[in-house]
Amino acid sequence: MSPQPQAAVGAPLSRVDGRLKVTGQALYAAEHDADGAVHAVIVDAAIGRGRITGVDTADAEKHRGVLRVIHHGNAPTLPYRDNSGSNNPPGRRLRVFQDDRVLFHGQPVAVVVATTLEAAQHGASLVKVGYDAQEPSTDLAEAEPGKPTDYARGDAEAGLRSSAVRLDVTYQLARNHHNPMEPHATIARWDGNRLTVWDKTQWVMGTHDELAAVFDLPADAVRVINPFVGGGFGSGLRCWPHTTVAALAARETGRPVKLVLSRRQMYFGTGFRPSYEYRLRLGSDRRGRLSAAIHDIDAETSSYETFTEAVMGAGQMLYSMPHVSQAYRTVPLDVNTPIWMRGPGFASASFVIESAMDELAHELGIDPIELRRRNEPSEDESSNLPFSTRRLRECCTVGAREFGWHRRSPKPRSTRDGDWLIGLGMAAGVYDPGRYPGDARARLDADGTAVVEAATSDMGPGTYTSQTQVAADALGLNMRTVTFRLGDSLYPRTSPHGGSSTMASVGTAVVDACNQVRQQAIRLAVEDRESPLYGVDTDEVVVRSGRLHVQGNPARGETYRSLLARNNRSHLEANGSYTGPPSPARHSYHAYNATFAEVAVDATLGLVRVRRMLGVYDAGRIISPKLADSQAIGGIVGGIGTALLEHTVTDHRDGRIVNANLADYLVPVNADVPEVRAIYLDGEDNDGNALGVKGLGEVVQVGVAAAIGNAVFNATGRRVRQLPITAEALL
Amino acid sequence: MSTELPESAAPPPTGSGEPFSSVPTRRTFIATSAAVGGAVVAGGAFIALPEEATAAGASPSSRVSLTVNGTRRTVTVDNRTSLLDLLREHLGLTGSKKGCNAGACGACTVLVDGHRVNACLTLAVRLEGTEVTTIEGLADGGELHPLQQAFIDQDAFQCGYCTPGQIVSGVGCVQEGHTGSPEEIREWMSGNICRCGCYVKIVRAVEQTAGRK
Repeated sequence: MSPQPQAAVGAPLSRVDGRLKVTGQALYAAEHDADGAVHAVIVDAAIGRGRITGVDTADAEKHRGVLRVIHHGNAPTLPYRDNSGSNNPPGRRLRVFQDDRVLFHGQPVAVVVATTLEAAQHGASLVKVGYDAQEPSTDLAEAEPGKPTDYARGDAEAGLRSSAVRLDVTYQLARNHHNPMEPHATIARWDGNRLTVWDKTQWVMGTHDELAAVFDLPADAVRVINPFVGGGFGSGLRCWPHTTVAALAARETGRPVKLVLSRRQMYFGTGFRPSYEYRLRLGSDRRGRLSAAIHDIDAETSSYETFTEAVMGAGQMLYSMPHVSQAYRTVPLDVNTPIWMRGPGFASASFVIESAMDELAHELGIDPIELRRRNEPSEDESSNLPFSTRRLRECCTVGAREFGWHRRSPKPRSTRDGDWLIGLGMAAGVYDPGRYPGDARARLDADGTAVVEAATSDMGPGTYTSQTQVAADALGLNMRTVTFRLGDSLYPRTSPHGGSSTMASVGTAVVDACNQVRQQAIRLAVEDRESPLYGVDTDEVVVRSGRLHVQGNPARGETYRSLLARNNRSHLEANGSYTGPPSPARHSYHAYNATFAEVAVDATLGLVRVRRMLGVYDAGRIISPKLADSQAIGGIVGGIGTALLEHTVTDHRDGRIVNANLADYLVPVNADVPEVRAIYLDGEDNDGNALGVKGLGEVVQVGVAAAIGNAVFNATGRRVRQLPITAEALL
Repeated sequence: MSTELPESAAPPPTGSGEPFSSVPTRRTFIATSAAVGGAVVAGGAFIALPEEATAAGASPSSRVSLTVNGTRRTVTVDNRTSLLDLLREHLGLTGSKKGCNAGACGACTVLVDGHRVNACLTLAVRLEGTEVTTIEGLADGGELHPLQQAFIDQDAFQCGYCTPGQIVSGVGCVQEGHTGSPEEIREWMSGNICRCGCYVKIVRAVEQTAGRK
């Protein structure tokens, strides 16, 4: 098979769905027209733990427009078949309205269905729920952790004892909520025993499988649709209880039901990045060569499910050292279950490790970039595998040059601009991108246009656009003649749209399907006596702009259209697949970055302002540079939030989240984000995916908080070992 | 679902629901769990919220005439209906987005008589005689508004959910003349949250559009 010319891949194209999005025509979950849909509003528990003693629905049911109030006292028993797929963590998942127990503040305890949104909202306020309340346990620092997950190589305790320089630091990381701009929402409709759901999800197949399990339906009786996702960052990786509530309400009322979580309900109706307490002990020699690290990691989970994430990876392989031990303990609390959030695990661990490296650099009087260079491993020391590609040094070098790192004074609190203390900081980042099996289907029609389908999602990175790019090149078509469809469980099955996996996984399946279709056309041509390509070796034929021709001889060829018309073929079609990465692994496959920050800190008020930021990325081949640039800048902005603003605050007396809104849970706004720049190193990584990509959606947020924290230290001489870094902490 | 009525329609229904009859039960362990906040205090004791005297049964409506994207509309709306819910749930104009329903995110930004407002905080019944412009009303036939085109050119969005609010807000920002510098644009566009973090490019798109004027 001759390699196809690459016209679309690598070109800085605008989004194919841009027009729909800027005109308000892109339809998100709650915006689909389900004829006759009624509205549902969830009543959530007002206690943090305990039992429901009674539900008084009389007033709600009298309210005009209210059709039904469903709660544990009148809800049918739901099958809740086991489903360890769909990203359900180990444990016993929350079963809506199945018993009187309250496991966390905000748990759904009833749902009001009404003909109008206003009536449903008001009706929900009229439901009176009685409780037998117990004091919940919601404080990570006060609760008992579970059994640890351990990792060890060498003898870390002995290695630490014999180190010339030792660091012992404990960091606290706040809980973060994804807060995608689109609230989670579901429209559910039953047609007999068949369920159709429009749902905000990053994984239509996961929601499909979960609903089939909850209601014990055959797989083909459930359809999940979601063509546009208004942000996710991980919050849509699981089917949450409200989706079941909507489907249940639709079944009980015999009407299509629309259920939209309020912004407040997003704080306990969907997951979150868990809070951490992370103690790190580092040992090195006087020249900064690391010898040992001991990681004691506590993270919150719920009382009913054990959520874990890849928080141990970076500590095992980012830097070279003989002795490492790690204990990762989840702490069950009376909260809802966390979920992965952008850069899961790695973003949290990197704040600790990269801040500690900065502390060590300062202690030793070594430049932070030089300290990282001195600890660069020659292989992945956690797996003893060679790196597929690892260009962290180059990220640092390019970043230092482009950011003007030489202008940084190593002495903290030594650069001023009026009342402002100025500081520069950097951090390294690493992420282990996902690569999961998945399928895709391609169809080339007689008119020379193609449709490619896969049940993946586009929460914002530009899946529509980038998959169209790879499909167009593999088919030899122009972008405008290729349509990529996603967000429907009727399309070929894919893995979740998350973990930076989509291009490597779905993209590879798309290329496979399109390659097959192109090969079918080429074979048809070379075996067709009427074709100018008759008798040509199939390996000698390429396709460009819908025209097959001999490589190096564009004059000899014909179009798809003429070929299919002459052969009376309405279309050519193929299913493609990606089977996952090589197993056993041959390489350590990771994406890397170096992130740089300049901050200004008001010397008297402690106010921190980011002045400029730069990220340099080793993320393999970049399919869609214009969109990748936006994604990187967005990851940095997310990191600014984690570093300086974002903090979900729980009142431990009753488990209530006190800042469950966008006025009190602060996220970066336009004025918080001045100059931000992203640079992707040219290159590709061909470990197990033909596209040469590494995935970039996560790595762009990893290390950002540490870079900012390190810049704050450089500005002020104050090391804040908690996130977010607030003015209070700097006063 | 349409609430659109001809001008000659019958007067709006009054609050003719059943009078609120059930006596509030103020048992110690009853907490009113509302969609917007129940009442709970520490230690497992609960305080009942006062009942709303007009709550049960009543849903008074009003008739209002307004112009939406150049089309005059006369609608009968529940008095509790926000402009945003009128647009999204009754007029089929889902381009204006509900992000927080509390005026904190700007996803619902529309122009009312040329001024930027949060449609989620604006009661529809207040809008008699006003002109409302939403994202659906910006393009001139098939030709995009310059700021819509600038958003595409600059890739000033990712998921697209805040985008209609950003663009309408940007149109307001340009009309107000708050585009003298990137700093000024950043300040005057800070009522619109973009969680995908496209601010740098939103500023460029507004600059590009302001520069054309």
